[in-house]
Amino acid sequence: MPAIEHFIHGDGDRKQALVVIFLRGGADGLNMVAPLEDDGYYRARPRIAITKAKALALDGFYGLNPLLSHLQTPYNDGVLGIIHAAGSEDDSRSHFEAQDLMEHGGVVGGGWLGRFLRAQTAGTTGPLSAVALGKEVPECLRGAPAATVFASLDDFSLGANHARLMSSLARLYQAQPDDLGAAGHSTLDAVRRIESLRTASYRPSQGADYGNDEFSRGLLQIARLIKSRVGLEAASIDLNGWDSHFGQSTVMDPLMTRLGQGLGAFYRDMGREMDSTTVVVMTEFGRRVAENSAFGTDHGRGSVMFVMGGGIKGGRVFGQWPGLTRDVLEGPGDLPVVTNYRNILAAILQRHGSENIIDNVFPDFELHPLNLYA
Amino acid sequence: MKLPRRSFLKVGAGGMAILATAGCGQMPRELRQLLALVNPPGGPFQAPITEAIDPIIHALNRAGFGARPGDYQRVRKLAKTPEAAAAAYLEQQLHPENIQDEDADYAARRFETLQEPLGELFEYQPDLLHNELMRATVSRAVLSERQLFEVMVQFWSDHFNIDPSKGDCKWLKVVDDREVIRKHALGKFADLLRASALSPAMLWYLDGRVNRRANPADRPNENYARELLELHTLGVHGGYTQKDVMEVARCLTGWTVRSVGNKPYFQIGKVEFDPAQHDFGSKIILGQTVPSTSPALAKDILEQRGRHELDRVLQIVVAHPATARHLSAKLCRHFIADNPPAGAVAKVAEAFSKSEGDISQTLRALFQTDEFLLTRGNKFKRPFTFVASALRASGAITDCGMDIVDYLKRMGHAPFNYPTPEGYPDQATPWMGTLLWRWNFAVALSQNSIKGTRTDLASLRGAAGGDEPLMAHLLGRKPSPEEARAFVDSGDGLALMLASPGFQFC
Repeated sequence: MPAIEHFIHGDGDRKQALVVIFLRGGADGLNMVAPLEDDGYYRARPRIAITKAKALALDGFYGLNPLLSHLQTPYNDGVLGIIHAAGSEDDSRSHFEAQDLMEHGGVVGGGWLGRFLRAQTAGTTGPLSAVALGKEVPECLRGAPAATVFASLDDFSLGANHARLMSSLARLYQAQPDDLGAAGHSTLDAVRRIESLRTASYRPSQGADYGNDEFSRGLLQIARLIKSRVGLEAASIDLNGWDSHFGQSTVMDPLMTRLGQGLGAFYRDMGREMDSTTVVVMTEFGRRVAENSAFGTDHGRGSVMFVMGGGIKGGRVFGQWPGLTRDVLEGPGDLPVVTNYRNILAAILQRHGSENIIDNVFPDFELHPLNLYA
Repeated sequence: MKLPRRSFLKVGAGGMAILATAGCGQMPRELRQLLALVNPPGGPFQAPITEAIDPIIHALNRAGFGARPGDYQRVRKLAKTPEAAAAAYLEQQLHPENIQDEDADYAARRFETLQEPLGELFEYQPDLLHNELMRATVSRAVLSERQLFEVMVQFWSDHFNIDPSKGDCKWLKVVDDREVIRKHALGKFADLLRASALSPAMLWYLDGRVNRRANPADRPNENYARELLELHTLGVHGGYTQKDVMEVARCLTGWTVRSVGNKPYFQIGKVEFDPAQHDFGSKIILGQTVPSTSPALAKDILEQRGRHELDRVLQIVVAHPATARHLSAKLCRHFIADNPPAGAVAKVAEAFSKSEGDISQTLRALFQTDEFLLTRGNKFKRPFTFVASALRASGAITDCGMDIVDYLKRMGHAPFNYPTPEGYPDQATPWMGTLLWRWNFAVALSQNSIKGTRTDLASLRGAAGGDEPLMAHLLGRKPSPEEARAFVDSGDGLALMLASPGFQFC
């Protein structure tokens, strides 16, 4: 008979959690991580570029937007890696099509994360193995063996008669001789853990300071679930509204502040738990290199991705910088995609799963997983 | 139509008496429409009284999604002994065309987009179509009198799984469900297979549409050919080789679908055969030769010969003995046990071969095996069956709305959400982790916190004639003393019964 833990945590409780943050709307990578030493950047963005004086030092070539200052600590700790000129092969520059392709991982059934969880758990899966913060399960989790839209811990309660019902169920499942008895036992255990979470107040560790916005609160809930060992394997959360055609700074500044503060607090709160957790930040496409007349930028191609977690060869910016000369730019003047997002995700999934399933997660694509890990 | 709950229940109670005596056909139209949203709890009903699951409950569980209040009694009246009554019921279920199904039909009419012709479907948002497909499927499982038909629809939807999130399947799966799966669910397997092979959704899902050979350097796309052999017909150990896969793929080159990007719009989704993309060389499939055709022949002859190769391939694979064994094993796994007994598999495979793949006759043979008749209460319900049977058993009034579908998503078993071609697993183990959500659903159903769904424990208990018969109705047998005690102790007997180990099996 499988271990009791098996049914709460899925196969063997890997105790590894993957957190996917999707920045919807096409987030401008050049405004988050700027190529300070490429003059082309300043020529293309005379009014909206980040000046060398204001940028936070990363590696001498790139600088971080000061609004993302909270990312400096994990970066300097070597836990955060940045991949520039990353993205997908979709060149439609359509939000819908680019998100669709990115979340499905090609023209293929199900989402990449859903297929991963399905392939990973050939046996059984815990009820809380995958949660989505927000209103609906995102396409990337489509086809997952269990995907729950998580609004509040109250969702997991068994109603007004909770205690009586629990003890009656405990008696009946205890008498059940087969695998179902064990499954019932471990489910009761999961309900108890959730119940103690629900009734206890949560104080983030190390004085981590989450913001009061929805994104930060969502990350706090994710940290809480991971730490309480209810079998979370994947969580998804969106931060929306990056479509900065008009007034780049008005659109992006508050979002970057939220992203930075949220991730910074999560990192602090998680502490050692970060060793077995990976956070990946992605967006459907980057933006035109040249600013437009409205102090904004239009739909482009390559952007940045952030990966934070255990084992990352962090504190560096991955991916070859293609330059911003006319012969390099794609289409109407866009940063080309040097690193396909699948190669980043594949490296992460190899750490979170087994080596041989990534080809099933990303079919019809020749994978060259990025060398993200030490 | 929206009515306050109280009036619903009033009509429910009164209406049910009419239903019991007069039958649906003689009811006024308005009442029938109202009842289209109702899963009839009926008047007083009789529950089973045996210690173990009897043949009637067994038939209702396996050839359907469980007993509603009154079902047991209705089937019992079909013959003198429970065994004969169960057999008579199964025989009825094998002829869905003779079963009146007005309530389910009325309910299904709400899902208007699903009735749209192929050309109109592209006007709709994919999410709307997907939601309506899921809701309609739940609705039919809960309400339809053609229970075995709905079970087979689900079986074939898994067998010929298509995830509508891939490409144009977003729209085309609606047609596949209607014209392939539902049209042939109890018909001839060869017809079902051919309809599937030429289904625009399947041509998209398994890349048949890009399997072409315009010049000698082109390599065929093997995706469909492989799944045709591995999943749809012979089975993974069915004795075919990699060479067979490639040769089948060559036979099927040239078939394609007009995609959404193509104009004119009215031809979107149209399946076509282009001889110029077909490989006319000779092939050998499972030892049988498909002769070459000279490309110098007239175009209409080339087209005819090229098209014929698809039929030739299907003919070869359908007639292969491994196909009968593979399908028989899957049917026996579904209807008898996770590890299908070899004796039954052999008998059912023989019936399949003898009847030239007649699905009804194959099932009739299955229902007559001792293994089917005597292996009761051992199948762990998949989440869809759990939810449908809970709605049926509790006599819930339900609009089968997205709240219900969301529960199925949490349990990882919403219809049309499985990403890979093999379809949802049909064994217990992968579903063992879903108890938390089953319990959650049982509580929500009992406490009326699911939007659009209502149960009434008091009237259900009244109709059953007390707690004991109510428990027997829910479990399909007499409750054990422990179950009876837990029913009382739990403070929510309905939720407890639906969440209990006993209700997880069928």
